[in-house]
Amino acid sequence: MFLALKEIKREKLRYTLIIAMIVLISYLIFVLTSLALGLAQQNTAAIDSWDTQQVVLNKDANTNLTQSLLTKDQVKKTDLGAKDAYLGQAPVVATAKGQEKTSAQFLGLAADQFIAQNLKLSAGRQANAKHEVVADTAFQDAGYHLGDKVTLNSGKTPYKIVGFTKNAKLNVAPVLYGTLPAWRALKNVGPQFAASALVSQRANFKGRGSQLQTYTTQQFIDKLPGYSAQNSTFTFMIGFLMVISLIVIAVFLYILTVQKLQNYAVLRAQGIPAKTLVSATISQAIILVVGGLAIGTLLTAATALLIPTSVPMSFDLPILGAVALGLVATGILGALIPTRMILHVDPVSVIGG
Amino acid sequence: MTTIQLSHINKSFGQQTSRVQVLSDINFTAQAGQLSLVIGPSGSGKSTFLTIAGGLQTPNSGQVLLNQKSLPALTAKQRDALRLNQIGFILQAYNLVPYLTVREQFKLADRVKKQGNLSADALQNLLQRLGIRELQQKYPDQLSGGQKQRVAIARALYTDPKIVLADEPTAALDSDRVKEIGRLFADLAKTQHKAIIVVTHDLRLRQYADRVYQLMDGKISRKAG
Repeated sequence: MFLALKEIKREKLRYTLIIAMIVLISYLIFVLTSLALGLAQQNTAAIDSWDTQQVVLNKDANTNLTQSLLTKDQVKKTDLGAKDAYLGQAPVVATAKGQEKTSAQFLGLAADQFIAQNLKLSAGRQANAKHEVVADTAFQDAGYHLGDKVTLNSGKTPYKIVGFTKNAKLNVAPVLYGTLPAWRALKNVGPQFAASALVSQRANFKGRGSQLQTYTTQQFIDKLPGYSAQNSTFTFMIGFLMVISLIVIAVFLYILTVQKLQNYAVLRAQGIPAKTLVSATISQAIILVVGGLAIGTLLTAATALLIPTSVPMSFDLPILGAVALGLVATGILGALIPTRMILHVDPVSVIGG
Repeated sequence: MTTIQLSHINKSFGQQTSRVQVLSDINFTAQAGQLSLVIGPSGSGKSTFLTIAGGLQTPNSGQVLLNQKSLPALTAKQRDALRLNQIGFILQAYNLVPYLTVREQFKLADRVKKQGNLSADALQNLLQRLGIRELQQKYPDQLSGGQKQRVAIARALYTDPKIVLADEPTAALDSDRVKEIGRLFADLAKTQHKAIIVVTHDLRLRQYADRVYQLMDGKISRKAG
């Protein structure tokens, strides 16, 4: 540590540049991770808020909520309890006077079932009548107020916003929670249809009926359109960035070590143990990476404050902490590569002879 | 009291037609309390001689004994400890750690060798004698060549080694400084019973030596002191 700190103190410009590089890498990784988490959350925020374990869809729907329709006849053998609920889903375009069109997900609920009962409202009240909706706060952010009326798709019937709720996003679209009769109207289906899906908070819940297929919530989420592909893309991008940072940090430390080999050779000739020099190199890498990470974290926090709310960013501290630890491990790994040279440095190469 | 003994040392580099015999049947003994000077022109094998004596490389044949212990028989770690605790190297390339001040060069030694180094007063006296006492807060790139060389000498002596191996320690010094270094080495040998071996082509040191050797074409011979 003594050698590491003294060198950083003396070679300020060189190490400032290296820390700047690590800051940029960590900033990029943090922002990408936050965006990936934000996007993932916007796909599933509504589902996460229900805390469900099982989802039942029509078996021909290919695990796609939009394609699923359950008739009352198909679900009549399935007993629903306090932890189970019908869910009717219809993609809609919401329009209102003076507002831009908004693509949204209409979710029809039964007012006496757990989703509607447990809905946490940030303002207003539950939707009780057929033409009332509780809207995601994205509508509030866009300038909608309680009592405003929106029309959905090409329909003439206005729906009154009676409440707002946070974290109501499905497939990156804000959710409008309404009633099941309203869902039938928007979906253009008759009263014989019960819902798009059954959801349950019970782990052992199973839809009973030949046309029903039961999935775990995770299976259902993984099959959300584009969700897995999007997550895989981000995971690969972050993974590649980690590998690239490993290479960049290793190359920098390698060059630094090569430049110091002559000094190390003299120190080795004087009997300074190789482990002292190796620990100086590794502790220097840790100081550089941790310093870079700290500044990268501050920059990311500043970005989070300044970025528009329309850009989905989510800061999950355990995940970002794991990414930070990964970068520290990357730095240590990068520092271990040139240590081989330190262990094998030949003092005679400097002294001659 | 023999301190360091080289017997029948042979060392060559390369193979077959490119083989160069650097040292041939070298027999050399340096004793505590003596300043030994090994004089020879460039390429005569002085540095190879010194690195073998200090355990930094091994001969092709022959024996190196330090206080009756065979150096090649020691492990690398034991040789490191030996160099740290008993041998002071003053190198021709007097590489000081560039990002440490003169004072910190000694602190580094303190960190790896916790005991047996010069006291603060003894260090200040040594620095005073070498004329570098005022330079303790300077970095190597703020020193002249001669000042760096004297700092390198001080650093080698700071761990209070029993044996000092010096490779061209006066190459960058003017005559007054050479006299001071010569007297310092002679004093250290006499008063502190150190074995000091200097390889050089600087004949100005000859008057301070107890023994003078000539190294020429890989062979060593003793000269009249």
